[in-house]
Amino acid sequence: MTTLPRNSTSEHDRMEHAGAGRYWIVWALLLLGTLVTLLLSRVHLPSPFHLLVALFIACAKSALVVLFFMHLWDHGGANRLVFATSLIFVVLLIGLIVLDNASRFALTNPGHGRTLDMEPPGPDILTPRGPPEPAARPPSGPEMQPEPGAPVRPPGR
Amino acid sequence: MQPESYVAHHYPNLRQQEHAARLGMWLFLATEILLFAGLFTGYSVYRFLYAETFAQASEHLSVAAGTINTVVLITSSLSVALAHHLVQHGRGKAAALSLLVTLGFALVFLAIKAWEWTHDFHEGLLPGRFFTNAELTSTGAPMFFTVYFLMTGLHGLHVVIGMTVLAILMVLCWRGAYDHGYTTPVELGGMYWHLVDLIWIFLYPLLYLI
Repeated sequence: MTTLPRNSTSEHDRMEHAGAGRYWIVWALLLLGTLVTLLLSRVHLPSPFHLLVALFIACAKSALVVLFFMHLWDHGGANRLVFATSLIFVVLLIGLIVLDNASRFALTNPGHGRTLDMEPPGPDILTPRGPPEPAARPPSGPEMQPEPGAPVRPPGR
Repeated sequence: MQPESYVAHHYPNLRQQEHAARLGMWLFLATEILLFAGLFTGYSVYRFLYAETFAQASEHLSVAAGTINTVVLITSSLSVALAHHLVQHGRGKAAALSLLVTLGFALVFLAIKAWEWTHDFHEGLLPGRFFTNAELTSTGAPMFFTVYFLMTGLHGLHVVIGMTVLAILMVLCWRGAYDHGYTTPVELGGMYWHLVDLIWIFLYPLLYLI
């Protein structure tokens, strides 16, 4: 192969000087990260750390991809700003919504084991006040909820 | 052809044109990240609500297939990066071969995914009310597979789109369209492929290694 004379007016100069070796190193590190994730997933860690370790390694791997494969290391300025802004919104979206679920009174979350066992405080607001007609009764299920259009019968009718 | 002849009339020089194109690509990738963020949010909420069930349901996925697919996608990202590097040095034909390798890896990825999905269909591991698996009985198991199929499905769609883009770039590289100092299309197409890789880097531990 002939080597072309390098046209040094190009913006890619720094990238070209770095050479292809950098991509191979990043690739090796990504494979290492995958192996570490796989092995650490077999280790039994206490509850939040299992997820945190997996996410930390995934973030480190993505940082390598974004910085070197996608050239954010060389191309700064507005590109970094756009990417960082999207990350901030991802964190806001996921963080606040999970925080909402985590901070709710448990019965307002969709039914699962613990919720169904729990007695509601105060007056029993979940049991239907009058017996519904047998035909209108939907097929039985533990987490049956009243249908949106179904009228609530007043007591004693 | 000189690189300058690629400059559109509203840019003073090629450097500014490349800057603008790259910034536009990053804006597009930001919207893609937010698109997937919606699904990751759904995943987070239901994993929070049904933590034990998600761990049980995840064991019905093949960790081996997920790991192989991770390695395949990472390696395909490497070959895209190498293609960009080669075309910058005026070696369009070598870059085209590198992109061909990428397309091969992408096909392997889709083949493994298809095998996994077929396996899931036979086991009755399907979204929502189509879920018929007898071993998984706890509440929330159908939701895991709803999230799983939506996320891997949208990701698979992106793989197919990326393959189309890379196939076009491969033909153009082979014809020598980017041998004269103008390589922005290869760079931007490569960035799309790296994003597909990026999403998978998060899908792999979150779906397969709970």
